[in-house]
Amino acid sequence: MAKTVVLLCRCFGELDGIIALDGIADRLRAEREDTSVYLLNSLCMEEDAHRIGALLKQEGARAVCAGLCAAGSKREALWESLRNAGIERSGLFTADLREGCAWIHQGNPPGATEKAKDLLFMALAALDEKKASADVSADVHPECLVLGAGPAGLAAAVSLAGQGIPVHLVERAAQPGGMLNLISRTYPGDDHAKTRIEPLLREVETNNMIAFYPRSKVVSVRGFAGDFKIGIQGPDGTLRLRAGAVIIATGAGVLLPRGLYRYGELKQVITQMELERQWIRGVPDDKRFAFIQCAGARSPERAYCSTICCPSSLKNAMRVMEEIPGGEATIFHRDIMTPGNLLEAYYRKSMEKGVRFIRFHEEDPPEILGGDRVEAIRVRDAARGKEQVLALEKVVLSTPLVPNMDNRSLRELFQLELDSHGFFSETYPLHPLETRVDGIFIAGSARWPVSSDKAMEQGEGAAMKALGMLKRDRVSALSLSRTPGEKPGHGTVEERTCTGCGNCVSVCPFLACSLQERDGRFVSRVNKMRCKACGSCVSVCPNGTMQIPEHNYRMVGAMIRRAFP
Amino acid sequence: MEEEKRKNRTELPKILVFACRWCGGIGAGRAGWKRLEIPASFRIIPVECAALVEPDAVFRALSSGMDGVAVLGCHVGGCRYNEANHAALKRLDLVKVLLDTTGIGGERLLLAFGTAHEDHQFAGIIRRFTDFLGKQPPLEPWTGFAKNADLRSEG
Repeated sequence: MAKTVVLLCRCFGELDGIIALDGIADRLRAEREDTSVYLLNSLCMEEDAHRIGALLKQEGARAVCAGLCAAGSKREALWESLRNAGIERSGLFTADLREGCAWIHQGNPPGATEKAKDLLFMALAALDEKKASADVSADVHPECLVLGAGPAGLAAAVSLAGQGIPVHLVERAAQPGGMLNLISRTYPGDDHAKTRIEPLLREVETNNMIAFYPRSKVVSVRGFAGDFKIGIQGPDGTLRLRAGAVIIATGAGVLLPRGLYRYGELKQVITQMELERQWIRGVPDDKRFAFIQCAGARSPERAYCSTICCPSSLKNAMRVMEEIPGGEATIFHRDIMTPGNLLEAYYRKSMEKGVRFIRFHEEDPPEILGGDRVEAIRVRDAARGKEQVLALEKVVLSTPLVPNMDNRSLRELFQLELDSHGFFSETYPLHPLETRVDGIFIAGSARWPVSSDKAMEQGEGAAMKALGMLKRDRVSALSLSRTPGEKPGHGTVEERTCTGCGNCVSVCPFLACSLQERDGRFVSRVNKMRCKACGSCVSVCPNGTMQIPEHNYRMVGAMIRRAFP
Repeated sequence: MEEEKRKNRTELPKILVFACRWCGGIGAGRAGWKRLEIPASFRIIPVECAALVEPDAVFRALSSGMDGVAVLGCHVGGCRYNEANHAALKRLDLVKVLLDTTGIGGERLLLAFGTAHEDHQFAGIIRRFTDFLGKQPPLEPWTGFAKNADLRSEG
């Protein structure tokens, strides 16, 4: 009966071809009490997994040290076979003897063997000090809150309702549809604006899994992934809603080009949105249109492309050519951004229809000429290098989508992050549509400027991610990992020694730490649901109070002591 | 005296490497896949994130016979824990200042924040650091104290 079992993988000769594993095994047995050492051909094959399980039960082991390859130390299969044998998560430590030793010191077998021996002694020393974090779990409330009933929010709501999840769809305006309520047609099909979302609107009306709250906004947020408690204020007063997940699809605003191209000074200089409103009322009177792209975008203050303005200008320019007798449209651009096959075809179609394109340089933008009304536009044609003056009546400015005014207050309420432009920030690229708070997802133009079809795709994506949370019965803090497998542990406070300095509170990237009053002083408390065990709190704690039990300071000290003989 | 000590070194300098589980560790793993030959005088302690490396651990390592400490984390903007590596970088930069102040030398702490693809970067870092540390006098207890003592006797 050994307390600790050491499993050494030969990796079919890859390891013991360079590292003298037998000698190391003897050393380990000699220097440590209560330790059995086994050499196996492989730890990753099915047969060996069974053998390991049986072996560990027979030894009555409580801790396992495994010397194997880098990939093996991350394998769920290994962890599972250990768990089945009754080994706790805190009872395993692995040493990378292949990528980290044998394979990088092939020309130096004695050095590799020495290093492997040290790595195993380090691992055993660590295992002696490794502790387990406490876990908490909670029931998941299987309902979802969707904020915003534009194309993204509608798609998310209908998607979730179709999976049997009750949805609370909260909208600031009086009716659903978002920005599609304000425009006349969509591209590239030139359909009526709401055609795309007709089926979704019908579903919202008829499906009683979806509760729609118009003219409402969020006023308070409490709770965590699996159980958010949200206060909504509507025309009839305040409501309390409970949801296991939240999807934020609040869309974006449009920049008003004050100070650009004499907007505000001349009435005939308008924005794309104002043009859309004119189309909704009827065919405009003017004949000759100029569309100026990148008005307030791709500039030092807003160094991004808003993706939708070029196709929108093509859409409206073609409409001018088709619906206005004698209509003329010229698009003044720095680049035409129409990615993909549909939009590329759209671009070619506009050229066939006779829309003209004149390219200008960023440093030399066109000038609007005229006294009390627009008369002409002067531009230096970048392709020809010559200056041109075109007579026209109407100037339409393509301005970018900008963050909604609500973003800041929503950021405060939900404790999310905004990126440098003010849009909701996603976490690390491998987690699209997720935010730094588990259970809160973002979709559509609230996340980044997109057209309505892309917004719908993202809405469905966010719905699927929310479903991952909502289909669970219970959620445990350790399972809220951003990576395959469980979290390694949680930040844990030793309340006796906590001075309440608050370093951990300010440094935590996931806002998991807070100060609580305890017997007249402040101590730190870790919200285990949010903690991701990054260790930031540990390294700023002035007296070692905050530790991650699976990687505590005694462990590190022990490993340092054993690193070299 | 120091020259002699430097020449009398026969062993390779001992390096303790803290490698984060992601870019740091994966880069190191890839060096293994490529079978890049690296001096065997370093030991890795894997951490979840470079942010987990306490300043105290660096001092402890340098007081326990290590010649240098390297901390490998993910590149700027690539930290899975929401830019925890940025704070870690700033914190460890301050540790360098402390090491300079005490006469140990901030160059003995190497900070490398790269991507998981950079196996050659990992190999190059260890080789260059090993080379560099080999040219430094070995760390002895009270090295900083001795330097201060010199200044004091002058004044």
